[in-house]
Amino acid sequence: MEEKDWEASSSSENETGFALDDDEEFHSGGSGPRVGSSKARWIAELGMAEVEVKRGKLWTTTGIIRSGKTYCFIEEALYLSEIGELQILGNEDDIVIPLKDLYEKIAEEKSGCCWENYEVYKYLKGLGYILGRHGVSWTSKDAAITTPSGEQESVCTGECPEDKDDTVTKLLGDMHISDARSVFDVYLPNSRFKKSSPGEPSFVACFSGDSPPSKEDIKVLQKRIAAPLMFCHIAQGRASFFSFSSIDLPVLP
Amino acid sequence: MAPRWKWKGAEAKALGEPISKSVSELQLALAKTESLGSLSSCNVLLAVDTEQAELIDRCCFGRLVLSADKVKKWIQLTFEEAFFLLYNLKCIKISLPGRYLEDEVADTWLYMKSKRPNFPMFFKAYSHLRSKNWVLRSGLQYGVDFVAYRHHPSLVHSEYSVLVQSSDSDRLRVWSDIHCAVRLSGSVAKTLLTLYVNGNFKEEDLNLPVCLEKYTVEEQTISRWSPELSREDDTKISKPTVSHLKTV
Repeated sequence: MEEKDWEASSSSENETGFALDDDEEFHSGGSGPRVGSSKARWIAELGMAEVEVKRGKLWTTTGIIRSGKTYCFIEEALYLSEIGELQILGNEDDIVIPLKDLYEKIAEEKSGCCWENYEVYKYLKGLGYILGRHGVSWTSKDAAITTPSGEQESVCTGECPEDKDDTVTKLLGDMHISDARSVFDVYLPNSRFKKSSPGEPSFVACFSGDSPPSKEDIKVLQKRIAAPLMFCHIAQGRASFFSFSSIDLPVLP
Repeated sequence: MAPRWKWKGAEAKALGEPISKSVSELQLALAKTESLGSLSSCNVLLAVDTEQAELIDRCCFGRLVLSADKVKKWIQLTFEEAFFLLYNLKCIKISLPGRYLEDEVADTWLYMKSKRPNFPMFFKAYSHLRSKNWVLRSGLQYGVDFVAYRHHPSLVHSEYSVLVQSSDSDRLRVWSDIHCAVRLSGSVAKTLLTLYVNGNFKEEDLNLPVCLEKYTVEEQTISRWSPELSREDDTKISKPTVSHLKTV
């Protein structure tokens, strides 16, 4: 029975992992990058890649814009590399960083994304959803990206630009309060999506780790976040999404 | 999920006979004859006349015990149901065969609690929904504590499968518990509802049912979202179809 379940697995073959362009051919990601894929340069201090060559419409729903430049997080870079849409170049040279190294970057968890988060990212992207890191605006004309120790926004840790002043305290405080984390803003598939006005996400993908979220965890998160919360659970390559909603059953006649 | 009425005129019939009205009528009918329930280690047996039996059935309390008795009808009540009639509706009396109950309510409470340590928590949850006129029945066949109906089970399918939790309880503590409970609920077209009963259940005060007033109940539904089903596909970007993906 389980063998036949592969269709429902979130990590099924790359066939389901595409956001295709109208005039591109359908091809398997395993056959290597096609001629003319996008190119980005990995910047170690930022934990992000700066896009240098853009190919395809996928950039309307991937990457953040700062001062006119596009940057992408490790999960975006890895996903696009896996499906052959992007080549990541090294900081010092033009050698393409192999997938193995990108996987290692995820495993190291120094770029704000762990493997669990990546599984969910990949799964939903493959179904056409639009994902961005929670607390990071899609575009900002003024702010330039600097290293996390700089005064500007520190996007890697996913801090909200609004609470710049006491973000460190807030983060530490949150770490003590709960294990549950809000990670991605998720938008329904939308061909008219605009980074300049993305609108409200359909939900925010949260992770509570090895155990389901406690009632308190959910309360703390829901207080800060207006959008519906969806808790993700990854196990054996299957991604499941659960919502825990406070309700008040009506008094019946 | 919207309520699923069982037949065409069911919703109208339900509107015409609100549960609260039936409960009031039952309350009067039972109080009038000073109905006496007989307490045992796992239930309460109540002898009623035909009219009362009909009302009890309409309000969905207890189970009719089939017997050859031509004069009386015997109803088997759960602890929750019996205590609700005793304490909330105040329309029955309780006796414990072979024992004299000095303070009927307090002693019944103590007795029930001694037989079922979880009884206070379950009763708080039960009375919380019953007081809102929801009909609660045992949920054992669905692997939960209760199932909640909007009206009589002959008119409507139950909407919620109910699990009772307190801060001490260790239910739904691992992910597979959540998967299991949600899947079970879904397969019988119900929404999983957890009732969190907040309060300290180890206090000495638990000896008085008045402690119930101090406890609060929070309701929470848990549902599984299927990303394959929820996409509004207005995009022009061609995507490989994923029609072979399973629905939950």
